[in-house]
Amino acid sequence: MQGEPANVAGRPERPRLARLSLLLRGEVKSLEEWSAQWDSRRILSHVGIIIVGAGLYGAAMGCWRDPMQALYTAIKFPLIILLTAAANAMLNAMLAPLLGLNIPFRQSFLAILMSFTIAGAILGSFAPLVAFVIWNSPPMTADLRQSAGPYAFILLTFVVIIAFAGITSNLRLLQLLRHLGGRKSVALCVLLAWLAGNLFFGTQLSWILRPFIGAPGLKVEFLRRDAFKGNFYETIFRTTVQVFTFD
Amino acid sequence: MNENNPIPPHIPSSAPPVPQPHATPPLPPVPPVSSHAPKPLGENPEERAPITSPIQAVEAILRQPRRVMYQLQQPGAGALMIYLMLVALFCAVVYGVVVGTFSMHEQLWIAPVKIAGGMLVSAFICLPSLYIFACLSGSRARLAEIYGLVMGMLMLTTILLIGFAPVAWLFSQSTESVNWMGTLHLIFWFIAALFGLRFLNTAFSHSQAKSNAGFNTWVVIFMLVVVQMTTALRPIVGSSDKFFPTEKKFFLSYWADCLKDSAEKNNYERSNDQRR
Repeated sequence: MQGEPANVAGRPERPRLARLSLLLRGEVKSLEEWSAQWDSRRILSHVGIIIVGAGLYGAAMGCWRDPMQALYTAIKFPLIILLTAAANAMLNAMLAPLLGLNIPFRQSFLAILMSFTIAGAILGSFAPLVAFVIWNSPPMTADLRQSAGPYAFILLTFVVIIAFAGITSNLRLLQLLRHLGGRKSVALCVLLAWLAGNLFFGTQLSWILRPFIGAPGLKVEFLRRDAFKGNFYETIFRTTVQVFTFD
Repeated sequence: MNENNPIPPHIPSSAPPVPQPHATPPLPPVPPVSSHAPKPLGENPEERAPITSPIQAVEAILRQPRRVMYQLQQPGAGALMIYLMLVALFCAVVYGVVVGTFSMHEQLWIAPVKIAGGMLVSAFICLPSLYIFACLSGSRARLAEIYGLVMGMLMLTTILLIGFAPVAWLFSQSTESVNWMGTLHLIFWFIAALFGLRFLNTAFSHSQAKSNAGFNTWVVIFMLVVVQMTTALRPIVGSSDKFFPTEKKFFLSYWADCLKDSAEKNNYERSNDQRR
């Protein structure tokens, strides 16, 4: 099978792990080949990696608050990634040729799905570490004085790991775009445009699907009652106005 | 001499004499400038000899670590991985008994269980991230191979800990300070772990990895996890009526508390002595 990696001694990895290993190594020729045609089994395996990886990470995040919250976050985390990929697929496919990268819808969608798969795999690999950090933390309490230190540390850990996963997956996507488009500036423009769209949509989706950890005083629930009231950007705008008007 | 063992092997008598550092040596024939790329594994026929028992695994990891690395890449390496894990567990249990001799009684079984279990759990927690870092660095090592290498690292670390065991035992019989003993065990573990990690790093360089940044990051994560594990499973050196601690703490705050308690105890004893 072309693109199937073998280790140094020439022994092939199991097919699914082999694909993941190849994806993580960012071997652009194989990735270009993968993105050139629809292969339902490969797409399913990528979706599976996202569901398992991001789901495990979400579960590890949510378990600090409550086991039920762990289940909810395990569902919500992969959902955000998959919905963002699906909802922006059309826009991303249109932006690429407009910015000078002439690739079809299939190729742009699969390239983004592959970068999300890399992020999912990285998040999943860090899930045991996050669970270990949470196991070692004092339980979440309503008294902020008691849990402020660990809360800050845990949030920082989450952010660092998510940032690492995001940066790494986008670097791999940039490599692929450069290979597809030839010019560095074009690849960078397309990546930035895709990132802007995905971040804009993903942020609002995360706002709707909150909470991911949950404040200790509030009930554990899948969606807040006011989930569809207002949006993230509106709230940021209102808060900024409040800060400057000392309201 | 090999990459993991800087001690040169026995030089046969027919070999040319090694020039003394202060003598003015005659100009030797200039060898061709070799690149820093490591020699491929299995180049030496000795490295291709299979490892068929735990004893051979111990001998190989100390004297011919490249043989272990090569064998882990071959078909049927499962048996070798099991040997590496079993020897690591056995050595951890033995060292744990030595740790337990400080408090005696139930710590004689609690300390080995906590040390062996904690070490294995730490390795399993960090294994997925090592695989991901390896792949991101361009390494072609399989997951099973990386698992084998981590077990090799644990085995080398615990074998070295066995080497430190008599020293640790002697100190544990001659002091009553839990802090002192805890620090000593941590120093021994740190030294042993450096050798274990060096084995892993050498193996990593043979897996076509283009960069060491991911591996170095992983080393920091692994060290932090193991140190935190010693706090999560406390007490290992001292004794307690509970197997697991009820209070969750990060290792730095636990160490600070230990130092504070020790200082208070010293002050109390000093004031008692002065009263007498």
